[in-house]
Order: sequence, then structure tokens, then C-alpha cells
Amino acid sequence: MTTVTVSGLSKHYGARTALDSVDMTIDVGVTGLLGPNGAGKSTLLRCLATALAPDDGSIRVSGLDPAVPAQRTEVRRRIGYLPQNPGLYPNFTAYDLLDYVAVLKEITETRRRRAEVRRVLGEVELTDRAKTKVRKLSGGMRQRLGLAQALLGDPALVILDEPTVGLDPEQRMLFRALVSRLGERRTVLLSTHQTEDVGALCERVVVMSGGRVIFEGSPRELAGVAEGQVWLSEEPPKGSTAYWRNADGLYRTIGRQPAGAEATRPSIEDGYLLLLGAAAAAEVAR
Amino acid sequence: MTAEWHVDSELREQYERGALEPSRLMAVEAHMLACAGCRGEIQVDITWLTGNFSVVYDNIHAPRIGPVQRLLARVGLPEHRWLLLTATPALRWSWLAATIAVLGLAIAGSLLSWSGDPGAASTLFLVLAPILPVIAVSGAYGPAVDPMHEITGTTPSAGPALVLWRAVAVISIATVMAAVAGLLMPGPGWLAAAGWLLPALLLCTGTLALATILSLPVAASVLGGLWLTGLLAVQQAQEEVFVPTLFGPSAQISYLAAAAVAAAVLFRRRSRFDLGESR
Repeated sequence: MTTVTVSGLSKHYGARTALDSVDMTIDVGVTGLLGPNGAGKSTLLRCLATALAPDDGSIRVSGLDPAVPAQRTEVRRRIGYLPQNPGLYPNFTAYDLLDYVAVLKEITETRRRRAEVRRVLGEVELTDRAKTKVRKLSGGMRQRLGLAQALLGDPALVILDEPTVGLDPEQRMLFRALVSRLGERRTVLLSTHQTEDVGALCERVVVMSGGRVIFEGSPRELAGVAEGQVWLSEEPPKGSTAYWRNADGLYRTIGRQPAGAEATRPSIEDGYLLLLGAAAAAEVAR
Repeated sequence: MTAEWHVDSELREQYERGALEPSRLMAVEAHMLACAGCRGEIQVDITWLTGNFSVVYDNIHAPRIGPVQRLLARVGLPEHRWLLLTATPALRWSWLAATIAVLGLAIAGSLLSWSGDPGAASTLFLVLAPILPVIAVSGAYGPAVDPMHEITGTTPSAGPALVLWRAVAVISIATVMAAVAGLLMPGPGWLAAAGWLLPALLLCTGTLALATILSLPVAASVLGGLWLTGLLAVQQAQEEVFVPTLFGPSAQISYLAAAAVAAAVLFRRRSRFDLGESR
């Protein structure tokens, strides 16, 4: 079932276009939103989370229109949102913070609220940290607490804006495990600029650049964009700037075949970089 | 007890029934801590255990109820409402700012009284007291004062109702504090105690109405500045009749009428307090 449908969505900040007629659909499972800084990912997520009103176009969340005030409240009952800078109150304990957000999420009956707080603490593996103040939690634990507040009320749509930024590999692994579990029965939209996250977690990926959607498909299809365009050579390719030396001491080039180079299997990152290069070239041509 | 010894079925049955005397109970529990096999044999009522764990867990971790919350509960405010009002850190800062301002005002008034000019103390109070609730309301809502604003603003409770609840909470406290300070002021007590209330009402409703266009702190600064500038202008033009002109009956009626207009604008534009609404 399609959880989110976006049609012709546009948003401008003064003269700058943040979203330019974006169309997309999102279903149950984990969808990755990939793009460089300034691509419009956060603006799109904020519009979906009802934190920002678009200038044009429409959004439907489970068939509901957040532009209509009464339906917006209903949409908010169905979403969990972790912004890029959640600003969790540093002097609250993990339990107090979740209790507070649970009230904001209309879980007003004390028993039910406490059971819900316990449930989400367990879901993000922070049961033993309930009494710890937010400022004393590690970066990874804080992100998990941010995720826990998003999960209060068991939302159908979970929106996560760059949740793995600044996490060490172990914490990132733990976070990925949590997000992949969420995607088993919920719709999770995860913004990132790390292709490893997409490869590890997402069934679908949407690539954005300059406020536009430039790719929608599976991670395999994204890697496939670079099929036949990724090369390995023993010498640095002449006349090319987009290459780097890999761990085996070979030069990896994306684009035209350098002299003496052999084709290699493309990665998601190759496809992504190729798409961004093509989008940048199209932008210059315009 | 050696590592070879294990809890037999009779002992286990007594343990499960809670029939063991304390010394044997301690011995059995000490053994089970070290012996996963015996531990695994114990029949546990998971529902009972989970229920008890939940109660204990909540008792340890749930927020403590303080005197302010107890008071609000006693006056009939539902738990979720007082929890929301008393837990929001931005509101605590707001109340603190208002308290400091009231104290400052009280000290300034006292100094003026001691210097032999109680009339000036009263005038100072009338001029500044209406701004106190505005200071408080400026810190009640918005990204500038609430780091969790984006999370708060995307919950089902977000929107005009939340803003107004928070505004009412801070305005009430600031108003009570200013009223008490007014009664203690030298000079015409009734005027100091009541003369500033309608200007304060106007400034508060005006600030909230203007905050549908500007951010709350900016709206509060604009209206607070306009109030002080206006008073300064009147004072320079009519120094002798300054207080009667600005705090007399006809001025009070004007404040009330203007506050009603501001309230109407606020009601009409209240949806602008919602993050998801176009500005």
C-alpha cells in the first residue's frame, strides 16, 4: 500500500528553489533519500512531517491531505519525525523526555503513556538508561532516544533526517539494525548522504539534486546506472579528474574508459556520483 | 553449598510457593544466581512478573510530582495539561525572566520611594508593569526559545491551542507577581494595582496577534518598544497630566477596545501558529 504520495511539490526560500516540482511515492519498507547538501532532502522531509508548508503541489499521507488543518492533525497522529537537529532537552532524563513527547502525542492516560514509554525505550535498547539525563548520553544513544520519541504512538510513517551523521561505526550499525526492524511493518523514509546506509538498509532509493528527484529505484538499479562506466587501471588515467586510488593500489575511474583500464562492477556510490555529475552538467547547460 | 549441589524438586516447589524461611530462601537464591540450570527450572508467571516489573520501573523512572503540579492538579487541571505546562523548559525561563523583571521593578520603586518621590515610583510601575507579561509571553513558544520546537510543532497537540495554553500559563504567573508588587507600591495603591492591567492585556493580545506574522520575541519587542516610545512621547508633551492621560478611565476604555480588536485578529489568524500552515 502506498503510504505517501507527493505531486508537483515546490518550495522556495526567497529567490532560491529548495524543491522543484517533486513527484514521488513511498511504500512500506525503508526508502532512502540520497543527495548532496542543499539538494532539498530536509525541506522535503519537513514538508512531509508537516513542519513546513509547501508553496505548491500536494502531499497525501495514507490518503490524508496535510494542507487541510483537520486532516493535518490526523496526519500528525500517523507520523514520527526525527529532525536533523532534534534539540532534545539536555536536562531531561530519557524517561521524562519521552513522557513529555507522549503527552504532546495525545497519549494522555497515565498508564497507557508509561507503557508506551517503556515500549519505545525497549525498542531502541535504552531501557537501562531511562534515568540518565540526555546530556550524559553518548551521541548514538541520543540518536536512539530521538528515534524512540518518533516511535511513540506507533506511527505508520517514520521520517528520519540524517540520523546516522556523526555516529561511530558501532553505533551506526546498531542504528541500522533498529531502522531495518522498523521497516518490516512501517514506512520509513531515511534521508542521508551516505551511500553505505542506503546499501545496508533500503529497499528503495530516491536521489535528489538541486531540488529535483533525479532517480527512483532499487539500490541495485542505482548501481546499475554506472554499469559499463566504472574502470580500474594500474596507471592514473590521463585527462580525467574523477578517479581515486583504491585499497588494492588500482585507479578507479567513473565515466569514459581510460586507456588500458578494465571494466569493474559498479557500486551504489558509483551510480550516485554519475547521476550527480550528469545532474550538474544538465544544470550548467541550462 | 558446593557447585555440585542443585535445587531439588521439593525445594523448588517450596521456593515457587514462597514457603521457604528466610535463611533457606537466601541460600537458594544465592545458588540460582550462579546456576543457570536451576534458574531455568523455576516456573515463572510472566504476566505477573512483567506487571510487577512495570510498576517498579515506573516508580523509579517516572517524573516526580512537585508542589506546583500538585497545586495545578488540585485546581482541576488534567494531568497531561499540567505536565505539558510545567515540564516545558522554555516556560521555566519565561517565568524566571518575569520574576527577575518584577524584582527589578520592586527594587527601583523602593529606591524612588526612599529618595522621597513615591509618585515617581508609582508612575514607573504603571509604565513598566504592562511589559512584564509581554516579556514572559515572548519566551513561551518558537524556535528561538524551544530547541525541540520542530518536534513539538509536528505532534498532534501542536498549533494555536498549545501556543495559547503556554501564553496563558506565563501571563497568569507574571500578572499575579506584578499585581502583588503593585499592591506593595507606595502612592495610590488602587491605581498601581489595577491601572496597568488593561494595558498589559492589550500588549499581550497584541503581541500574540502580531506573532501570527512575526516571531514571538520580535512581536514582543516591537509592541514593548512601541508602548515605551508612546509613553515617552506623551510624557514630553503633557508632563503634568501624564498619569491621568494614560491610565485614566477614558484611556482604559481605549485599551480594552484595542485589546478586543487584537483578540479578534488573533482568533482570525490563529492557524498561523501551526508550522504546517503557510505564512
